[in-house]
Amino acid sequence: MMKSKKKSIWVFGDYRNYYQNRVTLQLLSKAVDLAQTIKAEVCALVFGHEIDEWIMEYTAHGADRILAIDDPALKSYSTEKYLAIIENLAKERDPEIILIGATDFGREFAPRLAKRLKTGLSADCVGLDITDDGLLLQIAPSFGGNMLAEIVTELHRPQMVTVRPGTFKEIPHNYTRKALVERLPLMKKLPKSRVRLIEYERSVEKEHTIENASVIVCGGRGMGNRDKFKKLHDLARLLGGDVGATRPVVYSGWADHGALVGQAGKHIKPKILFSFGISGAIQHTAGLGEADFIIAINKNPQATMMKMADVAIIADASDVLKTLIKELKKRIRE
Amino acid sequence: MLNLVVCLKQVPMVTELPWDAKTGTLRRDLAAGMMNPACKHALEAALQIKEKFSAHITVITMGPPAAEEVLREALALGADRAILICDKLLAGADTYATSLVLTAAIKKECPKFDLILCGAYTADSETAQVGPQLAEELDLPAAAYVEKLEIHGRTLRVRRMVDNFRETLEMEFPALVTVSMENYRPRYTELMGLENAFGGDGVIVLGAAALGINASLFKNKGSRTKVRKVFLRKTQKENVILQGTASAVVTEFLNKYQRKISTAIGKSIEGKLNDEE
Amino acid sequence: MQFNPCMKHKLIRNSVRHFAETELAPIAAEIDRDATFPLDVIEKMKTLNYFGLQVPKEFGGAAMDSISAAIVMEEISRVCAAVGLCVTVHNGVAVYPFIRFATPEQKKHYLPKLASGEIIGAFSLTEANAGSDAGSVETTAVKKNQEYILNGTKIFVTNGGVCDLALIFALTNTDQTRLQSSVFIVESGFPGFLRGELEDLCGMRANPVSSLFLEDCRVPEKNLLGKLGDGMKIGMTTLDNGRIGVAAQALGIAQGAFEAAVKYAKERQQFKKPIASLQTIQNYIADMATGIAAARLLLYHACSLKDEGAPFGCEAAMAKLYCSQVASKVTSLAVQIHGGYGYSKEYDVERYFRDAKVTEIYEGTSEIQRLVIARSVLSQWTF
Repeated sequence: MMKSKKKSIWVFGDYRNYYQNRVTLQLLSKAVDLAQTIKAEVCALVFGHEIDEWIMEYTAHGADRILAIDDPALKSYSTEKYLAIIENLAKERDPEIILIGATDFGREFAPRLAKRLKTGLSADCVGLDITDDGLLLQIAPSFGGNMLAEIVTELHRPQMVTVRPGTFKEIPHNYTRKALVERLPLMKKLPKSRVRLIEYERSVEKEHTIENASVIVCGGRGMGNRDKFKKLHDLARLLGGDVGATRPVVYSGWADHGALVGQAGKHIKPKILFSFGISGAIQHTAGLGEADFIIAINKNPQATMMKMADVAIIADASDVLKTLIKELKKRIRE
Repeated sequence: MLNLVVCLKQVPMVTELPWDAKTGTLRRDLAAGMMNPACKHALEAALQIKEKFSAHITVITMGPPAAEEVLREALALGADRAILICDKLLAGADTYATSLVLTAAIKKECPKFDLILCGAYTADSETAQVGPQLAEELDLPAAAYVEKLEIHGRTLRVRRMVDNFRETLEMEFPALVTVSMENYRPRYTELMGLENAFGGDGVIVLGAAALGINASLFKNKGSRTKVRKVFLRKTQKENVILQGTASAVVTEFLNKYQRKISTAIGKSIEGKLNDEE
Repeated sequence: MQFNPCMKHKLIRNSVRHFAETELAPIAAEIDRDATFPLDVIEKMKTLNYFGLQVPKEFGGAAMDSISAAIVMEEISRVCAAVGLCVTVHNGVAVYPFIRFATPEQKKHYLPKLASGEIIGAFSLTEANAGSDAGSVETTAVKKNQEYILNGTKIFVTNGGVCDLALIFALTNTDQTRLQSSVFIVESGFPGFLRGELEDLCGMRANPVSSLFLEDCRVPEKNLLGKLGDGMKIGMTTLDNGRIGVAAQALGIAQGAFEAAVKYAKERQQFKKPIASLQTIQNYIADMATGIAAARLLLYHACSLKDEGAPFGCEAAMAKLYCSQVASKVTSLAVQIHGGYGYSKEYDVERYFRDAKVTEIYEGTSEIQRLVIARSVLSQWTF
């Protein structure tokens, strides 16, 4: 098999949720950027069955080379199989950098791959760059995004990161681009998966987990009572988002524990966060470090939540919620 | 008898995070600690298994001497045995090194484990890496972000939700799971349990040497990543204030931000509507 | 005495705080307003050993040391003083005399039920004409066959509305020259045990404080606690212990009000800056913090004496006197820092303010504490 002499930046092709999540295309774009600085090629990995669509798509979005394995045995995602395949390829070809989308799959798979390759990994990066000494600068959030860390992998290769969807902008597609497509056979000694997939279905009741939701409607005790709180779901549904809750609300039984946002619960990173009747105790705001745009609604203008908001609406939370739902129903065009 | 191992981490309590205002860094040494919330869910999952089957729970943490506190808490909640891995040599370990050390401790102290449970992620660094890397080190079948566990003989069946897919997976013991925070709401600590947790046999403390780890080995096999800088994220907020009747503020809000909301929700929203509509 | 809290005490504080903040904080204002006793939370507390803080393990208690027990009462009261009161009275003055004075049979019969909270206890000394003057109770107990027949009225009985058992102080000898009182274990199911209406109080409103009426109440002879005529001794010993509880409670209230005030002072903007940056407010905060720190040391000192088996009555009185004064002062300053908002029911500090006051009154008024302290001091210094 041929070994490319040029440095290579690999991008793992994560296509399972292509229509909701274009993280692979975003990574290709960043890879193109990084490749210019360190003079490398951009190589996309595509494993699966009947994958020509993705080969075409990744070529159009910046890949110089595609390593593709098309086999019925790879019809569904498998951590163990993918691990064996990439471990094999990486040991053979020594990539300089591997970028993996911080999907749930990516975040489970990447740490194991890093361990197999005896290299470092930064999780959930929100920024990438090249340092003066030519290393991949990995900017990763901690403490609910309230802090950022600059991390490097000095001595070991490849330098690996997972990158949060939405961090980078994809390059507009160009279907006239050409890439070198290497169609590889499935490795002979593919390990048998020890984890058996008994059932899987695309979830209908929920489009995403609250950690990944781009719109979140959070409510606190200021909503008044359970029935008024339940109305937050109407708004969330209209906006295609999720409902989050503060601790007192969860413990009053107005919301499930899974909706708990903050120190003892989920850390969220929505593009838009509505915060209804929440005073903003640090136990809650600890989970909001990466909320992009915050609208807080509260009778009390002094509430911490109101001060950390982009838009602070001084009014009764429940009244505003009702009106907002009514008004949005009129205005939203599907 | 099922042999369960739960890996715990002590994380700083956000209510008491002492920031160094000048450098924008966290004085971790001063922060009060608590059991990482997801780890608490993992422990709860183990406790519920113990309520159904005959099981023995070992809890392990790696950290400074003060991390003993989370082990005592685990004992108070119903764990049977506690191990603290504590050594200056191990300070600042990344997930790669941490999983290596935990593996050594598990192999030494609980070689006959059936199931290892970890929290899906930690509230401080949030890497979600130690669990999967531990599975690699110990060469185990594993599943992350598990919401529900069932045990049938030597078979573990788990349910989880990953990337919009609801999955049911099965694997044989020994295995490893990382537990999400969807289920297994942690129980409250009984006061009697707390009192008992400080009597009895206490906590087993292991240094690096006891695990066969020395400085030169750790240099080669230890951390792969290096943190060059940590800083507070500063965000500039506009803090626009809207005030008035509900309908007035909603109209003003939507008129002003309709484009922003449209982009976020991927649907278009009409701008100004006539009041008659 | 250790000045740094040990790991156990830290963990107990964190655990109880977590429970109180999740279960009681959301309802504290509501149950105060409506004067309702939160039975569902109390049920949870029972399973977590909150009703058997210092009961020995053999009877199903948590067997905590006294500082641990004080921390529990402190942390519950920090969030909801009325529920703190329920726990304090049950453990401090209803259960404690059983541990100290009950016969093995009485212990075996009652302690497990008290420790599990299956029965909630009350302590009934106070009467219309017997407050600080504990010696002048008028309730009587007359022996008839194998029973005592009790008659009288007890007032301001904490937990009165829900208690399943009350320790009743009654005269067993009414001869004015040789007045003698004794203590009886009276179950609420005994014939002739009646409850009055709940009191409508300024603070501690969620606690069902009521009167108890004993109308020819028949109490088996075996339910005499201690020996005949031990009333005064049991009462004074129990109150010594109860004072530790009330001190802990007052300290918790002060702590809660203090935290609310600090938070508010950092948030509230006046003159275009947080009021916490104003020196006047800083002075208040410094005084509050200092008072609380001193009160806590005094309290834990009394606790450690108790655990050593040393006399602790004087120190308990000092702790009670000082903690309750600090509570009143701190809650008052907390209201002051909140300004007009502090006087409104929208904020918690007015509740703390009302709750704090009674800690200077019950379980011996501040005046009585001074009496106890002075007597002790004067008896020790024999110049």
